[in-house]
Formats: sequence, structure tokens, C-alpha cells
Amino acid sequence: MQLKPSLLLSSFFAAIVAMTPAAAALAQDIVLGASVQLTGPVANTGRYYRDAYQMAIDKINADGGVKVDGKAHKLALKLYDNQSDVNLSVRQYTQLVTQDKVNLLLGGFASNFQLADSVVSEKYKIPMVQGGGASNEIFSRGFKYIFGTLAPASNYFGSTIQMMKALKDPPKSVALLYADDSFDVSTADGTRALLKSAGFNLVMDERYSSNTSDFSTLLSQVKAKNVDAVLVAGHETEILNFVRNAKSLAIAPKLYSFTVGVPSEDFRKALGKDADYAFGMTAWLPEASLKDRWFGDAEQFAKAYKAKYGYDPDYHAASGAADVEALVMAIEKAGSLNPQKVRDALASSQFDSLYGPIAFAANGQINLPQLVIQVQNGQVAEVYNAKGFVTPPKYPMPAWNAR
Amino acid sequence: MDLLAQVLANGILLGGLYAVMALGLALVWGVLNIVNLAHGSFIMLGAYCSWHLFHYLHVDPFLGLPITAVVMFALGYGVQRGLLNLIVRAPMFNTLLLTFGLDVVLTYLAQLAFSADFRAINPGYAGSQVHWGPMVLPLVRLGAFAVALALTVGMWLFLLHTRLGRAIRATAQNLVAARLHGVEPRHLYALTFAIGIALAGTAGGLYGTVSQINPYIGASLTLKSFAIAIIGGLDNPLGVLVGGLFLGVVEALTTLYVGPTFVDVASFGILALVLIVRPTGLLGRTT
Repeated sequence: MQLKPSLLLSSFFAAIVAMTPAAAALAQDIVLGASVQLTGPVANTGRYYRDAYQMAIDKINADGGVKVDGKAHKLALKLYDNQSDVNLSVRQYTQLVTQDKVNLLLGGFASNFQLADSVVSEKYKIPMVQGGGASNEIFSRGFKYIFGTLAPASNYFGSTIQMMKALKDPPKSVALLYADDSFDVSTADGTRALLKSAGFNLVMDERYSSNTSDFSTLLSQVKAKNVDAVLVAGHETEILNFVRNAKSLAIAPKLYSFTVGVPSEDFRKALGKDADYAFGMTAWLPEASLKDRWFGDAEQFAKAYKAKYGYDPDYHAASGAADVEALVMAIEKAGSLNPQKVRDALASSQFDSLYGPIAFAANGQINLPQLVIQVQNGQVAEVYNAKGFVTPPKYPMPAWNAR
Repeated sequence: MDLLAQVLANGILLGGLYAVMALGLALVWGVLNIVNLAHGSFIMLGAYCSWHLFHYLHVDPFLGLPITAVVMFALGYGVQRGLLNLIVRAPMFNTLLLTFGLDVVLTYLAQLAFSADFRAINPGYAGSQVHWGPMVLPLVRLGAFAVALALTVGMWLFLLHTRLGRAIRATAQNLVAARLHGVEPRHLYALTFAIGIALAGTAGGLYGTVSQINPYIGASLTLKSFAIAIIGGLDNPLGVLVGGLFLGVVEALTTLYVGPTFVDVASFGILALVLIVRPTGLLGRTT
């Protein structure tokens, strides 16, 4: 298999061409700009945003578009691939605003991106609605043009901690492990306080480096300290390695819960049976009770999404679709494309969507309760919500050789 | 005390895997004087190769290693003859640029071919352990460690005692003298690079059984291999083994005593220290 340089080169160009989204048609009226991770280490989450944005825009256009002053306008998407690089993402947003002159902005994935990108939207006073950054840091700077549809990071584990108290034979000692980036540090800060007020004994509180691939030592400490519950705030790669390491060392605390991964099909596929018993949280499940103006309800949205893209949407996708809807609702309410007017309309948003009720707090962030979920026999089961237990949790987790 | 023993065992087992990852990089660097920045991507491709064998043909990941090695050997030979050979006499900077470009191309081709989804090689015995005193030793990690030892010692013996191995070492030491003795460098370079890539591919297969695979794992693995090659030294596979074990243990102890955020500080701090104090690696020159 000789790889000729010319072959490599031509494949490379083919790759570039394939990744460049179709140029936004100029004839269309309202252009939404976004920079999303289509390649690079978080591409597997970035794709939720690309696909959800496109799907929501297509649906809204098919439904007659956006009405401004009694005239229907079509929506278009101008999307760049930031290659999972924050610096590139900031440059692309600047380009979207200054050169492409897009009307309004959508976000990409991950808090560290939103933290930097929101500076651009603030500077140029173009509202950005983003569904990929939950860190409280993003919304604590008094910015006026950033709106977020992910629930605050500090409360990601809130419902899980409530559930832990309600369990029969509840866990006593808890380990909190978290990566050293904005989202995970925010999550850990919030979780630490919640654990304390709930009366749990925090025996391990460790921040690890974001590219950690080996958790053997941390897991050995979990075992040595006889930890009942392990809460991990990290990225999907790390969570996968964590579970694999735990299995290989036969370490099974009574429960473990992760901020990411559990709701994603990709995570369950990679781990197979080993994904069972993992707890997680999601602000969204594809339920028919979540009514939507364009898609009917969340269940229909999920079906249409799977049919179109071949994989199940999770809360990232729903959040992304809601971002487009929030912008459209705001434009219609403002009756104008003026960024300031749309911004003010966004701030007073109030509508039901496939993702849940959309309304932003004064700092721009949404507040949605996190549902506790668990992988049970390869499926995500809703275990606990604000009203109490739904599906009985599988707790405590059995030893690895007793599964 | 039990915890310390366990953590040391974790570090040593991980270090063995690190050593195989760096073995190919050190060989190519030492002989061809090319710092292969695409090394991690070749590890990634090897991991995908093993994953496909395991997932579609149900080949045991350890039994599949020789197949992965052969495939990667062929790929390595082709890349060297068709691409790297063009710049083998060029300044170091050009080789860095070319291998960096190669890394980007391989990464993106991998995303096109395999998508950005995560994969893991998960054989039935992935959850089995050996209990030894207070220590729990995961079977797959033991296996990976054994392969690492075998490959390192094998490489060492190969370089020391076979005709080809001696020719490789001769070329690394003095190209002109080697040519005068009938060594044909073009073929030899390609063979060396191919062996390096085969080793990288094997490391990838092992990596996939203990960790997870996606198209982007390469960059951090290149960095790690680079550190190990520097710490261990370039001209002796045993040095690379020592470097890998050393790094594995240092990382484990740093996590235990200092904190997991500081793992990279410790490992790259040691890298800098070695460069200052012992630039030829921990074992120094052996010839």
C-alpha cells in the first residue's frame, strides 16, 4: 500500500472540500453565523451543533421562514470549522461579524470556546445564542449579548446529589474528580458546596490535567479510601478511559456519575456492556410532552434527527435546535433584524420548545433541572427528576465480575 | 503501603506501554535523523487496524498484533520510499515540516475514514486481573507489558547481533563508512522506518486495548514518545525501556503525592533536566 504524495495531496484537498460547508446563499435574508468543531478532538460533540442548526433551519424554512414586518424571510447558516481550536474560533467569529456580515450568531461546543467567543459578540454587539457552554464563568462578566441554553455547570450534579440522599443505604464517602478547564472547574466548585450542604463526606477532591489518559492511580486511591460514590466532571475521552481503567483494576464503587458521555450513543457504543450502571445527567430527553412550534414535540424531533443523520440526538443537539428557535422567536418578537432589538427580545424570551421552556435569567443563562439518568442494559433510563424516582436505579453497582 | 505498591505497579505497567510507543520514534530518530512528528498518528492508525481486526474479524487483539505490524511495516516502507526519501538529505527543519504535514493529513484522513467516534478494543478478558500480594494487575496491561519487554529486548538483540541490525547501527554511526562496506542506505532507511512504524502500529494495538481510540490521540502520543526517547536516549532500545518505565512511575507518583494536574509538569520537567544533565539519555551511550 504505497501512499504516493500526490495521492495524499489529492485526498487532502478532497477532505477540505468535503468539510467546507456550502457557501451561504447571498439571496437569502437572515444569515446565522457559527464556528463549530467539525474536526479535532471534540468533533464528535461538535457535529451535534452543525446537524441541529441545519435541521432546525431547514424545518423553519420549510414552514414558511421567519416573519419580519409581515414579510417572510428565509434563514441561512454560515458555518466554519474551528478544528477544535479556541483561537481559530475567535478569529472565525470576528470574520463572521466583520466580513461575512452575518445577522446573528450561534455558538459552538464547550465552555472554554464560549468564554472566548462571547468576547467577540459583546464587542460587536451582535447577540449570540449558544447551546454548548455551561460554565458559570461565561455569564458572570456582565455581558449583554451572550445567551446560553445549557443549565449552569455549578448545578450539574445537583439532582444527582439529591438522588444520592434518597437512595436506600445511601453512599457516605464521595470522591470528586474534575478536569482543569472552565466547565469542569465550575462544575466542581458548585458540586463541592452542594455535597457539603447535603452532609456527604468528601474524601477525595482532585483536579486532573485535561489530557489525562490513565486513571489507574486515582482509581487505586478511590479503592484505598473506600469511596462509595465517585463524581467525575470531565470530557468524554477521559470518562471512557476512567470506566475502562476501573474495569481493568476491578474497582467498583457503589455508584459513579459523569457529567458527559452517558447520554451519548457514541459513549455507550464504545463501551458496550461496560457502560451499564454509569449515572449521568441530562436536561433533555426526547419526550412527547415537550411541545414545539416547528417539530411538534421532542420525540418527533429525535425521530426526524435520527432519520436524517443516522445517530441519536442528545441534549447538545436539542439545545442547539433551541438556539435557532430562540433567535427566530426573538426576531419575530422584535419585528426587526436590528441586533440590539433582537437582543432585548431574547432577554425576555418565553416559549416552549422541544428542548424545554426557554427563558433566560438576567445574566443570559437558562435554568433547567437536570434529570438523573443511568445506563441500564445498554439503554438510557431516566432514574430521578424533581418529583422523585422514575425508573428504579440499579444501586449499588455490582462488582465487575458479578455482572 | 498497599496503595504505594499498587500505584508503583500501575506506573510500571503503564511505563512498559510507553516504552513500545517510543521505541519506533527513537529508532527512526537515531538512524535517519528524522524526528517523526507523525509518529503518534501511526500509533493511531495501528490502533484502528487492530480495532478493525478485532471488531469485524474477531481476531484477538494480541494475536492480531503481528498482522497490524505487517500492515504498518508496509505502510512505513511506502511512506519512506515515496515521501521521506525525497528530503532525507534536507535540513532537519524540512523533515519536521514534512512529518508535521503528514501528521495533519493522516489525522484528517482518519476522521474521514473512521469518523470522530470513540472506539475501544474490548476483549472478553479486559476485566480480568492477576492478584499478587496486595496488588491487582490487570491482565491486558500485563499482556501489554510482556509484549513491550519482548519487543524491546528483541530490538536490542536484533540491532546487536543480526547483519541487518549491525548495518542499521553502522549507518546511524557513520554513513560514509557504512556505504563503503556495501550498505545501500536507501533500502536500509526504508527498512528502518518501516520497522519503526511497525513498532508504532503494535503500540497502537496495545494502546487500544487499555485506552480509547479516536483520530486525535496522535499528537499527545507523539509528545509522550518524544519525551521518553529523550529521557531514555536514542541509540539503545533498553534505554527507551528505562525511559518509559521511569516516566510511567514518575507520573503515577506525581498523581499520588503532588496531584494529578501536575503530571505534565513533572514529566516535562524531567525531560528538561535530562537534556541539561545527561543529553545522551539516562543510560548514556552504550557503544
